[in-house]
Amino acid sequence: MKRRYPDKSNVLLVNITRLGDMLQATPTIAGMKQENPNCKITVVVEKQFEDVCYHIPNIDEVRAVDLGMTVRSLSREADGIVDAFEYVTEVVDDLRAQNFDYCLNMSSSAYTALLLKLVGIKRNGGWTSDEEGYRVIESDWARLFASSVFHQNRQFNSLNLVDVFRCSADVDQHPQRLLMKVSPESEAYCDDLLREAAFTAKGPLIAIQAGASQEKRQWAPEHFIRLIKVLETKLDARIVLVGSKKELKIIDPIKAGANSPNVFVAAGRTSIPQLAALLKKCELLVTGDTGPMHMSVAVGRPVVAMFLASAYGFETGPYSEGNLVLQPVIGCGPCNPNKPCAGLECHDTISPELVAELVALRVRGDVKKLPDGLADPKQVIVYRSFFDRHGFCDLEALNSTQYDTWYRYRQAYRKVWLEDLAGFDCGSPAPKNSKLSVLDSGIEGIGSVVELAQQGTELIQELMRCISDVRVPAQKLGAVNAQIVEVDRRIEQVGFHHPPLGPVTRLFCFAKENLSGTDALSLASQMKTNYDDLARRCQKLSAWYS
Amino acid sequence: MNDLEKLARLMKSDWDRRVRHDYRFWMSDGHKSDDEMWQAGERDFNIISKSISDTASKTLLEIGCGVGRLLRPALRAFAHVVGFDVSQAALDKARELLGPNPKLTLQLGNGFDLQPIPAASVDVVVSFAAMTVMPTDVIASYLLEIHRVLKPDGVARLQLYYGSEYRVCREDTLHVRCYAENNLRSALQAAGFDVQSFSDLELPFQVSFDEIGIRAAVISVRKSQRAPVALGELSHILLPGGEVEVSIEHSPQDLEHWTALNYARQLAEQGQVTKAKETLEYALRHSQNTTIDTRDLLNRIVSEIEGRGGTVPKAEVASTPGSVFEYNLAVLERRFPDLAKRMRAFSSPQRSVEIRSTTEGGSIWYQGQCLDHPTKPLSGAEAWVKREESEKRTKDCSHIVVGGFGLGYHVEKLLARGEWQVSVIEPLEEVFWVAIQQRDLRSCLGSLRALVVGEQSEIDCLDERTELSIRPQHQPLNPEFWTGIRANFYGTRGLLALSPKIGVLGPIQGGTLPMLSYCMRGLYAFNQRPRDLDMSGFASGYHLAEKFVNGKIHQQALQGTYIEMMSQFVLQSLLEKPVDILICMAQAPASGRILTELRNRGVITVLWFVEDYTRFTYWKDIAQYYDFVFTIQKGECIEAIRGAGAGEVHYLPTAFDPFVHRPLVLSEEEKKTWGSPVSFVGAGYHNRQQVFASMAEFPLKLWGTEWPACRPFDRLVQDNGRRLTPEEYVKIFSATDVNINLHSSTERDGVDPFGDFVNPRTFELAGCGAFQLVDQRSLLGEVFEDGKELISFANPNDLRDKVRYYMQHPEERAQIAAAGRERAMREHTYAMRLKRMLSIIYSSRFEGLKRRQDASPWTRMLERSKIDSELHQRCEIAFRRGEEPILDGLVSDIVAGKGRLSETEQKLLFLFHIRKQIIRMKAEETGQKAG
Repeated sequence: MKRRYPDKSNVLLVNITRLGDMLQATPTIAGMKQENPNCKITVVVEKQFEDVCYHIPNIDEVRAVDLGMTVRSLSREADGIVDAFEYVTEVVDDLRAQNFDYCLNMSSSAYTALLLKLVGIKRNGGWTSDEEGYRVIESDWARLFASSVFHQNRQFNSLNLVDVFRCSADVDQHPQRLLMKVSPESEAYCDDLLREAAFTAKGPLIAIQAGASQEKRQWAPEHFIRLIKVLETKLDARIVLVGSKKELKIIDPIKAGANSPNVFVAAGRTSIPQLAALLKKCELLVTGDTGPMHMSVAVGRPVVAMFLASAYGFETGPYSEGNLVLQPVIGCGPCNPNKPCAGLECHDTISPELVAELVALRVRGDVKKLPDGLADPKQVIVYRSFFDRHGFCDLEALNSTQYDTWYRYRQAYRKVWLEDLAGFDCGSPAPKNSKLSVLDSGIEGIGSVVELAQQGTELIQELMRCISDVRVPAQKLGAVNAQIVEVDRRIEQVGFHHPPLGPVTRLFCFAKENLSGTDALSLASQMKTNYDDLARRCQKLSAWYS
Repeated sequence: MNDLEKLARLMKSDWDRRVRHDYRFWMSDGHKSDDEMWQAGERDFNIISKSISDTASKTLLEIGCGVGRLLRPALRAFAHVVGFDVSQAALDKARELLGPNPKLTLQLGNGFDLQPIPAASVDVVVSFAAMTVMPTDVIASYLLEIHRVLKPDGVARLQLYYGSEYRVCREDTLHVRCYAENNLRSALQAAGFDVQSFSDLELPFQVSFDEIGIRAAVISVRKSQRAPVALGELSHILLPGGEVEVSIEHSPQDLEHWTALNYARQLAEQGQVTKAKETLEYALRHSQNTTIDTRDLLNRIVSEIEGRGGTVPKAEVASTPGSVFEYNLAVLERRFPDLAKRMRAFSSPQRSVEIRSTTEGGSIWYQGQCLDHPTKPLSGAEAWVKREESEKRTKDCSHIVVGGFGLGYHVEKLLARGEWQVSVIEPLEEVFWVAIQQRDLRSCLGSLRALVVGEQSEIDCLDERTELSIRPQHQPLNPEFWTGIRANFYGTRGLLALSPKIGVLGPIQGGTLPMLSYCMRGLYAFNQRPRDLDMSGFASGYHLAEKFVNGKIHQQALQGTYIEMMSQFVLQSLLEKPVDILICMAQAPASGRILTELRNRGVITVLWFVEDYTRFTYWKDIAQYYDFVFTIQKGECIEAIRGAGAGEVHYLPTAFDPFVHRPLVLSEEEKKTWGSPVSFVGAGYHNRQQVFASMAEFPLKLWGTEWPACRPFDRLVQDNGRRLTPEEYVKIFSATDVNINLHSSTERDGVDPFGDFVNPRTFELAGCGAFQLVDQRSLLGEVFEDGKELISFANPNDLRDKVRYYMQHPEERAQIAAAGRERAMREHTYAMRLKRMLSIIYSSRFEGLKRRQDASPWTRMLERSKIDSELHQRCEIAFRRGEEPILDGLVSDIVAGKGRLSETEQKLLFLFHIRKQIIRMKAEETGQKAG
């Protein structure tokens, strides 16, 4: 795999606020250690996740930042601001003293970017900030990450963000699953808990995570009640409802509705390590796209996961082989995570009976084929997670991709990125007349982008000539520059008008925003590379698509 | 380092002078001949270098080598000798006396360090009878330098004094320095030395003086591996109280004068007439500032010299001090030269001043009033100081300004406490003149921080830790003077020490509206923290009542409700962003209810009532809600408003805003539009209509509203009688030859014979540098000089005559306009008025505002933010801008992409984004529930 900084010995990983993010980084962390066992890995996390980090293998040191306290200080105003300032100074001084030689920050937040600027680590993958406070995205992979999660582009991405994150850190070798340690104490606690459950049934122990981080991603309690009833009937299943104390308000009605001695509420009674131990004791977890989903995968238990509303299985699906992912087929999905939804029609594309059937199949073993007619591909596509020959996680449809509008684009883009960014050999697309291939591909607007990229290249060459020749008047330079700005504007515009071109044009825009240095010739040269990249990637996209 | 450089320059000039006068006398006890000097040098070298072994291979450096007394024996013993001195004259002499020697380096020093001697290059450093007379800071600096130049384990031998701390003047290069033994030892330790021995110096003559607690020591120290402390800290360890700026007891001039005179006497007695005369002249050259009485000694020398056939310049001898008055004057001349001049020129004292004897000395009486204690001035002074000490206000202060000097007993007692700096105000020149005739006040006068004598003088050394204490016996003599002093003092101190947040509430409409922005600019001009409450946006709503409702009574009732609602807006806004002082402009929408609410919260309410109190009488209903009312009228107006319940009422005329009201350079087109030989700007009040109707023959333009549409106004009134902006009438003022300013009257014709206040237009016209003819007002003479800075008219006929005259005399117009502008700039800006307003408020509300300020979150934030200079600076700026002490105020001007961000800026932005992120995460949670 192509790498920017293969040699790292003292790494800082910024993964501040989300448990899921922390777990999703575990293959990267393990990969770094696998490639260089002497590499020291430090993570900086929000204080409330500090304990979790001690259950993640391969982390050498944890630096906790108390964001809650900082915000509380700030809300005290006056004195509190100085307290917060002093605290930040302490944090920065402490991190500086560690002399990290590489940092990976995959949080796009402005404050982590500023933190890294303050710490001043020379080599970065991911987000940091420049001298003037602008956010900078350091590597192509991190820019791809940013392009892929850009809402308009999400459906064209089939690379799991765990892999994008990993590649941003130049990690090639890696475990093909998430990782989390389970302590004997936690296991013993869960044994006691399950004894307390006093199940009368003898069937498989199934965990259900009913809560979700957003209400619109949360399947209705009545669906869960129905699911439980079918599982009890079909499998004589023992059900454990997991989750946090906050989620009890959804879980309690489910427990009440199920009205069964074989449904036990563990929600609110487990710490994160204990939840991991509990999931390990279960045979399977039914869940949405949640932290416990990643945890279950990390302790080696399969999941049947519903990716509702804004959740998108290709992006943040379970990172291990053999999980079942349900993705509704609906025009508005995956929707914008930041917008509320009044309809929630995607919830109705998945029936409790289908989920129960999938659970029943999965507890029997890896599911590589579905019984005919089990899942209507017009309503929902059932995927199985697996790893491709390059070690990248992928999803294969078990019913049909016939109604998946974006399937071909995803496939084409996957090959473009694996070839172009990682340097893998993805085989050869069907031969075409090279001159006309772009136009023939059927991707609307792609010809314009290639043409604009060529115009851009020519203008950059002209600009470089102007810069090198001191006799050229400033007005001329200005005029050429104005033409370049116009070309770039049009490239972005074409990307907006033709959604399938969104990822490739957005990546171009991010790269442009991240040109570095002040020397005009160097900037021009970087820009030329950017146009070349755009043209080449469009041609590859076109070839793979057709 | 500047301070050290200054001291070093002084040492250099003092020692060059002394060496040139007599190097043996000033630099050695053996001064009769060079031989005697060398013998003394040999003796002292043996003492200072006792038991140093292996000298033949070592380098010795002497600090303050002078003419080389100790260098000669040192050259015999050491491999290499460096003589270091600040005096070029001394080194020149040393070079002459010692001759060339390859082992010797003579190095002129800068007076406070040992550059260019390399670090760790010297084996032994000595200093004998040299560092003893250096200022403490210089000694400390040399100790650090000795540590630097000494080799590891190198040794220094220093002759210094220990015993009772001897607090001499910083700039003294002759008195010895003496330090407490513990401090001296600690300082040597702190400078990175281990003390090896600390023994008393013994010479054939007295060098230690037990009677005054001073002992001479020779101290041997070895360089340790400890790093020395910083210079400031070392000075502090050596002499914790520091050296004094002025010392009357130990004046260097006195010592040099006295020493030289005694030497002259000795020389005269020995018959060395020429040398004695030369030395006498030297002594007299240093008698200018001396305060000791040397007349007897002088007479002895003079008669001795004259007895041996010499002559002495009599004039110089006669001018040396000779009486209590002269001693005191000598101190005054040094400290307060202008006052000394005045006192010297003061004619005989008034009969009203007398001195009466008591058992504790004299006491001074003025017009039958005793200004000290009548029978026990000393005990009375002591009792007064004790009372002062027990006062809470003096506990936190560092400087007391005493009102009243009397014979100075109480001032001496206060100074003797040593806790405060002391300044004095004595309004009675004759009392002070008698006082300095009566008592030897040299020490007292020399120690005062400031001394103001006479009624015209203003004290200008106030700071936030200064307190005023006026002697009760002085108050009855001149109560108005003391009231003024008190107001000025607390006002000035308030301006220095307080930074309250000041709300300025404007009216919704009317002529006073522009004053809101004038006041804001005025307050900003002297660094206040104003916040404007501009209510003008509510005006259209107010007038809508007239469209919706026809009945006048109902209209008024609804408008009253509307005003109350606006008051509520004001209150709510002030609860969200509190102020300490609320200045309401005339007609500002502040109801009694909200003013009461604000006062209950400790806000000081102020009304600037810039209206004619006889015509606008709403003050009767609202005065009681204001702590301060400022009026543009005097006399009955003040009494009436005070009678209506206002806390304090003061006269404060309006002003002009130099930002708006300034001379303009207009284009020809603008001149054509706005210009005219004669103009008037203002509303068409009754008296104005009556006056201008009779001026139709003049090339007159009338601007403003409410003019009748009939003749001749249809021709005179410009631009359809629309309301003009301040910027527009400034153009009219600038483009007009003769501006008429006629105060409005609804009752009287022409010029109101009882008109008192001066309208804002008077100041604005002057500020614009425009020539104006203004109707006579009783208060006009206080603000402008009629005939020089503007021209007044008494009646319409007078106006017409003067218009005709001044239209014909452009030079006179220009001269008057320029003088008017100069006066306006000097005395009549809004900044000056507001400064005056705040001074008055502070003079009676200082304590309350100070408490409020101390309790304010900003105070602690500003203090704590000093951990980072840029953070502190940002806090200061945000504070000055009137921001609340919140993060947004500190980051509001940090913008990405506007240049490199400093580390502090990055940290603040980091905090800003953390908060934003957490808020967003919380909002997401809430939003999802809605979704």
